[in-house]
Amino acid sequence: MAKMKVFNIGKGLSNGLEETISAAHNYSGDLRVDIIPIKRIDVDPDNPRDFLINMEDLQNGILPSDIHFTRKSQERENLETLAISIKEQGIINPIIVYKHGERYRLIAGERRTLASIIAGKTDIQAKILDTKPTELKISILQWIENIERSDLSLWERLKNLEKIVSVYTKNKNINPDELTSTMLCNLIGCSKPHALNYKSVLLADSLLQNLIQENKIKNLEKAAFLSNIKSPDTRQEAINACLAGANLKKLKMISTFASKKNQEKQNNPIQKRGRQSSSVTFGMTKNLNVARTIIDSILNNSSLKHISDHFKNTNWNDYKSISDAFKQLIKKLEEINI
Amino acid sequence: MAQIVVNATHKGGEGKTTNSIMLAEYVALILGLKTLIIDMDPQGNFSGRYIPMEYDPAYKGGRIPSLHPDFNPNEEGEWDGRSTIGNIFYGKEVIPYPTLIPNLEILPAHSSKLQEAEAVTKNEVLEKVHLQLKRFLELQEVQESYNVIIIDTPPSKGPLTIAAIKAATHMVIPSQMEQFSIEGIYGMLQLWKQESYAREKNKPINLIGILPNQIRDIKLHKQFLTGLRKMNGVGDYVMPHVIKKRAIYTEILVEEANPKSIFDLPKGNVARQEYESACSYIMERVLNG
Repeated sequence: MAKMKVFNIGKGLSNGLEETISAAHNYSGDLRVDIIPIKRIDVDPDNPRDFLINMEDLQNGILPSDIHFTRKSQERENLETLAISIKEQGIINPIIVYKHGERYRLIAGERRTLASIIAGKTDIQAKILDTKPTELKISILQWIENIERSDLSLWERLKNLEKIVSVYTKNKNINPDELTSTMLCNLIGCSKPHALNYKSVLLADSLLQNLIQENKIKNLEKAAFLSNIKSPDTRQEAINACLAGANLKKLKMISTFASKKNQEKQNNPIQKRGRQSSSVTFGMTKNLNVARTIIDSILNNSSLKHISDHFKNTNWNDYKSISDAFKQLIKKLEEINI
Repeated sequence: MAQIVVNATHKGGEGKTTNSIMLAEYVALILGLKTLIIDMDPQGNFSGRYIPMEYDPAYKGGRIPSLHPDFNPNEEGEWDGRSTIGNIFYGKEVIPYPTLIPNLEILPAHSSKLQEAEAVTKNEVLEKVHLQLKRFLELQEVQESYNVIIIDTPPSKGPLTIAAIKAATHMVIPSQMEQFSIEGIYGMLQLWKQESYAREKNKPINLIGILPNQIRDIKLHKQFLTGLRKMNGVGDYVMPHVIKKRAIYTEILVEEANPKSIFDLPKGNVARQEYESACSYIMERVLNG
């Protein structure tokens, strides 16, 4: 019977589709970018500030009577370089603000805002959130912004994720080890296998972590697979192979092979399955010369010279003809033996 | 407020233009709503169905619409007598063309102008291209003149498709149930996701869903469709209606076709029923949320 045809949408593609839909659901409207007047931006009173200098100082000039005159002047000077680049190219990453009545409050980007004022700008590009976000929300927003970027290394993504996990587990009052992959996939809006991979890599030992940090291991799936190998020897072998450029399939082979070897060591004979064989299969070759050599060597045996006539008409350039000859030969040999 | 539906997928041959045609004719003929159709595809096929198109003497292989019926060559002025959606990228006025179908007006394609907009790479200009269609459709004049606007897009993920998605209130992804097509869905969902992130909460881009198209009675199509419907979250975005592969859908596109529209067929006709129920599903969501 012919084999049943089964068509599946590949796993990678399925995961990708599911992730995209779930991410879009979870974060729609969270990354709205617009251009807003700098005049309407305030600093967040609850957020620790890095600067003493403020927007009024930049607009009106720092008064010599100001008790912080020296430090503020220094700060202004430090902002000059950024201001020049903003004058030429604008800001590259939008600042992040949230709506507070008719005005906006800064979450991130005070330096960029101050430097824009020096550069003579009146407007600035900003990501606008509807309400003040929690610490967890901010780190998750950074996360989704980052995963859209292709230039971010696995290590940078992991550090970002670690922060999310630590804030989340602190909020939930649980131990970071208790975080399940389901929690993780709900949190960052990815598929479960993807979350599982991240979880494995977060738990990786320091050797593996170092390799990721040095950007020698860049691929999440590989890193997760390596982290999951229990035996230290096998893991080392797989890591070496990975550094030498092995793909995931190869790594899986190394691990399977090693675990089989281990089983043998433990004197666990591998049990054969299925019925016992009652015949011999002689294998298969695509090399015509090999096939001819086999048949010729048998026929050259002095006791079998008399049957060689049967094979005179064999076409040694034709697979079918040689196969038939070999079957014929076996038949003849069986007859002789009887 | 005018509702704006975009048919988009960057893979070619999935049925964007056919679906735009069916939707436009359904809304104008069956629902009797004031409809504007916009052809953002430099190929200009969508335009060619409703108004005569000419080959552009200045751009080999390119197409431009014929002279506007309101154009008076004896009148003084700067207007050259043609008006296309390409004009919005050049800060020029646009004047929709009437069609033979009541309630239906079109802003046709202009191959070279659209291709030029599609080829933009410089960041500041790109942003302008992305927002230009949205700004145009937000004009009070446009909003008040039409109930429904339907946009056909080129098979690409480029600036023109992005511009159309940014302008739209609703999005439909027609797709065959085949490997490359489903990869195409993935690409389009990325654009939809990006746009969802960027929208204000009260002005979302509503994904009506994936319209399974050109379905044949073969295992591949059935199993891919079932697979897609079973997928977590994704299943909600696969429309309950499917469009089968039928000769009639391409036959009515022929110039001398009779009848001209699928909606001129008798009500009991299988093909008409099939497309009408898909259109009604889409418009139900567009008009009633």
